[in-house]
Amino acid sequence: MSFMKFCQWLSETQFSHHLREAPYDFPVLIIIHIITIGLSGGMVVIGNLRVLGRALRSVPVSQVIEAFRPWKWIAFAILLVSGTLLAAADPIEYGTNIMFWISNALLLIVGVNAMVFRFGVYRRVAEWENAAEAPPAARRWAGVSLVLWIVLIFAGRAIAFF
Amino acid sequence: MLLAYILQAHPEALPLNPIARWEWVFPVVESIHICGFALLVGSIVILDFRLLGICLRGQPISRIAKELAPWIWAGLALQLTTGPYLFSGDPHEYVQIAAFRKKMLFFALALIFHFTVIRAATRPAADSAPLGWRRPAALVSLGLWFCVLLAGLWIGNL
Repeated sequence: MSFMKFCQWLSETQFSHHLREAPYDFPVLIIIHIITIGLSGGMVVIGNLRVLGRALRSVPVSQVIEAFRPWKWIAFAILLVSGTLLAAADPIEYGTNIMFWISNALLLIVGVNAMVFRFGVYRRVAEWENAAEAPPAARRWAGVSLVLWIVLIFAGRAIAFF
Repeated sequence: MLLAYILQAHPEALPLNPIARWEWVFPVVESIHICGFALLVGSIVILDFRLLGICLRGQPISRIAKELAPWIWAGLALQLTTGPYLFSGDPHEYVQIAAFRKKMLFFALALIFHFTVIRAATRPAADSAPLGWRRPAALVSLGLWFCVLLAGLWIGNL
């Protein structure tokens, strides 16, 4: 089955119809999606800024990361579910929207970047977190992460614009 | 703010405002506005979570507050520039939207609450004291900012 056929099929299901036409479902999903970003965005930003040595300097890097981790995972789960439901409301519209695909690609890159950090230089965090500055690799990943998240916000917003 | 005021007084200037003139300006400025609230509200959420005792538990509250303060200010600066600029695109329309007025009200309440009650809750002298009244205070703070976000999203009726 081709992708467009899949979008067609999905858009014709009762589920998709309901999401599209019920007065409150779609708006509520967007609210959940954006409020979750608002509430967890700070942890993403401050976490990255901590690795860059520009925020919460009195707290060791590992403690900041560990403290934020459960909340970020909860937020990510909510964002994934709400995002999927939002897309399911109008699969043809989103399936043909370049900004939707760019946003998803960015999300994937953000995830990969986070894993590279976590299973790479972060594994040795005990060695470097008491130094004056995090190692270049760590700072690079934190910087890349911040930029990716900001671009993701712009791309996500642009979905409605295209 | 000044720009919005000027535009209200001189409606013929409205079409010259870039945000009214070119379609793409609004979503770009709005995206910066979203980044701003992620920074402002997101940082306050970290502080409120600390006051609730559910995040960064081992850390002295006053020190967390002090170190988050510059970023809260940075977020606030972003919001106080992008917000009025978004408003300036259609000032007459926005003032008539109930959700907008409610958002401004909640925003003012949230800020006042932050710089009074939360400031008191994060005093260094209180660091070793039990969380006590600071927990419900943190919940009020979270609730107020949640209302700001909700009202903001309701403005465009999404």
